[in-house]
Amino acid sequence: MAEKIDDELLVEQFRRGDESAFERIVEQYSADVAALANRLLGWPGDVEDITQDIFLAAFLGLKKFRFDCSLKSWLFTITINKCRTNRKKRWLRLRRFSQEIDKVSFSSACEEKYMDADEFRHVRRAVATLPAKYREPVVLRYLQEIGTDEISRILGISKNTLHVRLSRARKRLEPELAELIER
Amino acid sequence: MTEDEIKKLLWQADKTAGGAAPVRVNLSAIRRRAGRKNLMTLVAPLASAAVLMVALSISALMFRTTEPTQEQEKIALLETRIKQLQARTDAALGLIQEVLDEERRQSRLDELQAQLASIPDPLEEVQNQVDKTAFILVYQADRLYRELNQTDSAVENYNRVIELFPENRWAKVARQRLSEIENRKI
Repeated sequence: MAEKIDDELLVEQFRRGDESAFERIVEQYSADVAALANRLLGWPGDVEDITQDIFLAAFLGLKKFRFDCSLKSWLFTITINKCRTNRKKRWLRLRRFSQEIDKVSFSSACEEKYMDADEFRHVRRAVATLPAKYREPVVLRYLQEIGTDEISRILGISKNTLHVRLSRARKRLEPELAELIER
Repeated sequence: MTEDEIKKLLWQADKTAGGAAPVRVNLSAIRRRAGRKNLMTLVAPLASAAVLMVALSISALMFRTTEPTQEQEKIALLETRIKQLQARTDAALGLIQEVLDEERRQSRLDELQAQLASIPDPLEEVQNQVDKTAFILVYQADRLYRELNQTDSAVENYNRVIELFPENRWAKVARQRLSEIENRKI
């Protein structure tokens, strides 16, 4: 609750022309936004440009924000939209430079050894092949650990739809990830 | 495979990826880009309006070249009217010509009828000649009888008139003369 009040104060300050309020919002949420973008884009590591774009969109739209949801959820909604656009652009680019994906993928990965490179690549590919409508709920639910109410607000879908999508996403991931469990 | 197992694998992969690189959001760049975008939101409608105006002008010019203007429509209307008047005039002239021809024919007919009327009736002419001949015969017989005392020759001429022109009025005169001669002899 305190966080929400702080956010409302910051947004109100920004509306009155105090741009330092936006700096505080960036400080507060840039790490979360970057983490979500990193996960949604399939752990590319370098998400500085897209984070910049997300906060530009926030800067332009913040005066119209009416707290229908929390500021964090609103920023996550922007993040999801920007990531969708980015993935489309990246997909078009990768069609021309198809070797790029694997080179980019593992350079920043595997600092800590939770799983080996092959396993990581396997999981990464399984998640990457999911359609956006399944990948986004999976990332928000299992990696961001956001509640289903909040996710349905962020994605603009009903809770039932969210559960159906999560279930279908799991069914798609199961055959891909089963062999990793068996190891 | 349970939901937790999937979640665990995803979490491990996320940890392995190491998270996003530290992000430094460039606020001055954001302000600059936002300023440009705000400017664009102001300029774009104006530019669109200008483009629209140019397009409308071009289309108006194109319409002017392809579509008939009001003046051209008027000229076309006048040309049509002139053609209609010409057609009417031609029809009237044709009618006048026909009337004149008819009058000419009627005049010629009247002339011919007058000429025909001026020609004497041949039967009447013959009747006149008969009357004249009968008169001459009666006149000569009267001279023979009254001036030359040639009663026989006079009786012969009177009988000839009665014989040749029995219906003529001079035949009646000839009969009166013969009757007078008979009476005198008695």
